[in-house]
Amino acid sequence: MTLALLLLAGAGAAAWFLDSLYRDLGLRARHDVLEAQVIALISSAAIDGEGRLIPENLAEPRLTAPGSGLYAEIVSSRGSWRSPSALGSGLNLAAAPATGERRFEYAKLADGTRVLGLSLSIRWELEDGSSRDFIIRTAESLEPWYREVARVRAWLLSGSIILGLLLLAGLAVALRIALKPLHRLETEIADVEAGRRDLLGSGWPRELSGVTGNLNALLAGERKRLERYRTTLGNLAHSLKTPLAALRGLIESGQADPQSQARQLDRMQEIVQHQLKRAVFSGASTTMTDLPVQESLEQLRGALAKVYSEKSPRTTIAVAKGTAYPIDAGDFLELAGNLMDNACKYCSSEVAVRAMPWTSADWRRPGLLLDVEDDGRGIPPVERSRVLERGVRADESVAGQGIGLSVAREIAAAHSGTLEIGESRLGGARISVRLPGR
Amino acid sequence: MRLLIVEDEPALRETLAQQFRTAGFAVDLAADGVEGEFSGNELPVDIAVVDLGLPGKSGLDAIRAWRKSGRSFPVLILTARDSWQEKVGGLDAGADDYVTKPFRFEEVLARVQALLRRSGGWSQPLLKSGVVELDTRSQEVRVAGTSVELTAFEYRLLEYLMLRAGQVVSKAELTEKLYEQDFERDSNTIEVFVGRLRRKLDPDGDRQPIETLRGRGYRIARD
Repeated sequence: MTLALLLLAGAGAAAWFLDSLYRDLGLRARHDVLEAQVIALISSAAIDGEGRLIPENLAEPRLTAPGSGLYAEIVSSRGSWRSPSALGSGLNLAAAPATGERRFEYAKLADGTRVLGLSLSIRWELEDGSSRDFIIRTAESLEPWYREVARVRAWLLSGSIILGLLLLAGLAVALRIALKPLHRLETEIADVEAGRRDLLGSGWPRELSGVTGNLNALLAGERKRLERYRTTLGNLAHSLKTPLAALRGLIESGQADPQSQARQLDRMQEIVQHQLKRAVFSGASTTMTDLPVQESLEQLRGALAKVYSEKSPRTTIAVAKGTAYPIDAGDFLELAGNLMDNACKYCSSEVAVRAMPWTSADWRRPGLLLDVEDDGRGIPPVERSRVLERGVRADESVAGQGIGLSVAREIAAAHSGTLEIGESRLGGARISVRLPGR
Repeated sequence: MRLLIVEDEPALRETLAQQFRTAGFAVDLAADGVEGEFSGNELPVDIAVVDLGLPGKSGLDAIRAWRKSGRSFPVLILTARDSWQEKVGGLDAGADDYVTKPFRFEEVLARVQALLRRSGGWSQPLLKSGVVELDTRSQEVRVAGTSVELTAFEYRLLEYLMLRAGQVVSKAELTEKLYEQDFERDSNTIEVFVGRLRRKLDPDGDRQPIETLRGRGYRIARD
């Protein structure tokens, strides 16, 4: 609306500018005509017997035809001369400029015709050496020019109105086209809210693709998190049923000796601990700030040095300079902590940790590669998938140890990354985690 | 061994105290971080078990305060949150090991004993001095391969001396570390117990495993 008003004002201003420009030029042309006539009159004029200054022949035919619209008169103290065209016109110019000067004036004829007049005062040298002042006046009817101006003005007005309307229509169409993706976004977000679709579609214009990409990442992250919570809750409830049933059975059958009760309690305790461990991490988010990887790894090394002080494995940390990755500090500590803990547990004396950025052509920001190796016995290929699945299913027996790897893999997966088990050059296992960039 | 428990949950605190006393520890209790910090600074504790989630002053703050004032006894933290962030935080603050809640007492006891051994410079659960062997896990004492029956107090006395093998331990220190309360005890009691322990370990009196340093205290030789 504001834009439309501005547009109309612009068109109006343009019309007004053109109009005044045209009037200005027209007026100057009128001045030129009058001046040319004055000069023509002077050049052909001579003093007659009565001492008047009279043009000897009128080259301009409009001066001879009455009512032609071009008039002239020469006035002096000795009488005046008027062009034939001025006869009966009631021409009445009053300006009497000082000698050598000119003055323009507007006047009206007897019939109401508006004229522009020019009066030039000159001093004429007479033959006897004396001189006399004359005022030479020319006037031209402005009516034809006014009609022209009115016509141009009408043309400008209608032109600017048409132009304004065309611009408005164009603007409306352009806005409609420009806002169409926003309307689509609005609809799709409403659809996501209502659960009619999971993510926003593709094919957004360049200006919106950043926003929709981030929105989709956010949606996917939240969805993953929600799924994980649901799974965790489901697993927790489901897996608690068995020991609960057993406990109830023991009590109802009157065999509730403390030992068998304690066994079921232990089982429940393990289940809770296990599920909690899987629920702590937060997963990928678009709002994470970069975590300095080296610092977190050093912290873990310090902590593990205490926990494994009797074994005191030699732990080397090699982080490529400036390696940072947008991940929740708790998630990274959990991921690297589980891997380094395992490495310290299973190594014979040496643990090596490496971290470096990892790039791909599609990413503006690099991913993260984390390698944790030890010189223990390693994990045989046939056992690798089993180790990673450990504790993933609720009804599986939960071993007190060894869920570290599967938790680490879940954290990696929550960040759309991968975890692979391989062989270390140190002789033991090498766990490689790859977290993607963006 | 004198152990400080800082735990706000009364049931857990009392259970732990009971179990540690049974295991031969002199136990001091604190119910929050402020009390814990005070006890750790003022009492001659050998080790502390600290819950991280305390009301008021947190367990972490108490540990930091102890370390800042130069108290170097080992600290075992109990944490309900089994996350590395929490563990790293605790170990960074000056703790030495952690146990995740819920736990079995055996687990806590094993960690406490390991920490005590470590702080005494032993890397094995089996402490040896000459022919005397003390197994901290089974609380068994053998002399030249033969099992010796000791009372709870005699065991605690021997364990304390063995953990500090090579160092002179004064009677005052023994009184402090083996009894919970601070009231005055006749140091003759310690002499009596040391005498009994000597007779059990060395009935013939030819090995002299516990050396007496007049006016300074007792010492067990380090192998």
